[in-house]
Amino acid sequence: MNKAISTRLTFAVAILSLLIFIILWQVIAQQGLLVKNFPGSFKTIGSLIWWVSDPFFDNGPNDLGIGTNLLISLRRVLIGYSLAVLVAIPLGVLMGMSKLAQSSLNPYVQLLKPVSPLAWLPVGLFVFRNSEITGIFVIFITSIWPTLINTAFGVASINPDYLRVSKSLGASKSITIRRVILPAIMPNILAGMRISMGTAWLVIVAAEMLLGTGIGYFIWNEWNNLSLENIFVAIIIIGFTGFILDQFFGFLQDKFDYSI
Amino acid sequence: MNKKSSRTSTSNENYSHLELVNLGKIFFKEKKFIDFRSKGNRSGFEAIKDIDLKIEKNTFVSIIGPSGCGKSTLLNLIAGLQAPTSGKIIIDGQAIKGPGPDRGVIFQNYALMPWLTTIQNIEFALNTVFPAKTKADVKERARKYLRMVGLEKASNKFPKELSGGMKQRVAIARALSINPNMLLMDEPFGALDALTRSYLQDELLSIWRKNKVTVVLITHSIEEALLLSDKIVLMSSGPSAIISEEISVDLERPRDREKIEQDPTYLKIKMRLEKHLLRETRAVEEVT
Repeated sequence: MNKAISTRLTFAVAILSLLIFIILWQVIAQQGLLVKNFPGSFKTIGSLIWWVSDPFFDNGPNDLGIGTNLLISLRRVLIGYSLAVLVAIPLGVLMGMSKLAQSSLNPYVQLLKPVSPLAWLPVGLFVFRNSEITGIFVIFITSIWPTLINTAFGVASINPDYLRVSKSLGASKSITIRRVILPAIMPNILAGMRISMGTAWLVIVAAEMLLGTGIGYFIWNEWNNLSLENIFVAIIIIGFTGFILDQFFGFLQDKFDYSI
Repeated sequence: MNKKSSRTSTSNENYSHLELVNLGKIFFKEKKFIDFRSKGNRSGFEAIKDIDLKIEKNTFVSIIGPSGCGKSTLLNLIAGLQAPTSGKIIIDGQAIKGPGPDRGVIFQNYALMPWLTTIQNIEFALNTVFPAKTKADVKERARKYLRMVGLEKASNKFPKELSGGMKQRVAIARALSINPNMLLMDEPFGALDALTRSYLQDELLSIWRKNKVTVVLITHSIEEALLLSDKIVLMSSGPSAIISEEISVDLERPRDREKIEQDPTYLKIKMRLEKHLLRETRAVEEVT
């Protein structure tokens, strides 16, 4: 099939399926087929437009524009996530290079990795006595594992030829790490960072329901207002933001793809 | 350069550049946690043993043997990438302690860094070996060696954009750029098709003539060894491989690929090598 036609067709199918979904949603809601007072798609789209047209108003902590809330969440994620990456990459390289580091740290990693980061929330509140720092701390804990594990795996499975070249030239450990190991494992690091970002974006919503402000708190607040259509607005915006973040890492991964 | 031009006195011409004394390598199994309780009893795999070899300055020596005989292990030991279990490696009268820029190593899989362009791969070697050199100096020198292997135009290409033969030429340029006096090659043309292989063999010979380095080449191709070498070292089948024979190849240089095959000396050595390799390979195949 012609490529231009095929893209146009894919686009048309996507639009069509969206229209069908919107109409079906509206019909089901209007007829009360699911539950009574379930908001229809028209109402939801209406409030989406309302929220998006003035996203940054500020009428006190319980009445913030959705854009303001989104930025608050993004800021928490970016700070906690960046700190996690700064810790995870050096630690991962260390674990990948040294058997001693691997065997002394791996038990903790394996033990802590499966724990829901929300379990750390009370710990954070107790230690920091501050909901803002606690949110960042929870994101930090969330983001650290995938990047750490991927980095360590990348180092451990690095093509030995690169290391042999470096060794045969008499390169120091520092040169080998900076100029051979780090660039060689860039695809692994980015894959880890992508997963970390995805999980961080999942967790921030849940964490914020308990912390106040942010897009997660917005959902909790709208639940208290019993405004389901606003919750759907938040879901759409959270999904869209997560998609953009993920695409950004996808783009980076393509840039650092060395394979043939 | 001075060192090399001082070679004019004929008495100095043939001193050994590389000497292997009673060299052996045993690979020990990694100790598992449970093994700590059972004392001693460190059984290992003996790859090579009792290797004695002298290689003269600026000669071309091939090491040939059945697959799995420890040829690559031997080369890794000379390169200093692994430490021998027993014996010594002496280069220019000094026992080596590890790798060094006096030896350029060329690997079968080219081992180019895929995130660097052709010229950056060479610059990496230069920057590592000569940290004091200026950026312009390094670039100039890298370009010179790319020109030498005829790849000046590909200097900004990435390895994945190059053919196998081109990649190996970059690897040769990289190995030579640090001005080693010994070139260690581990089946460098093994992964290439026949035509590219003969092209690169000719290239290597002309580079060797111009640069005057000692070459140690690991190969499993009898024809390649005969075409290129002054001396062929035959290894027995592993484990515990030894050197079973050293054969001088007294054929006129430059050697013509087609004419050489009619030469009675060539045919005689070839027969001998074939017989040896067949016998050793049979030993390998019938054990397993």
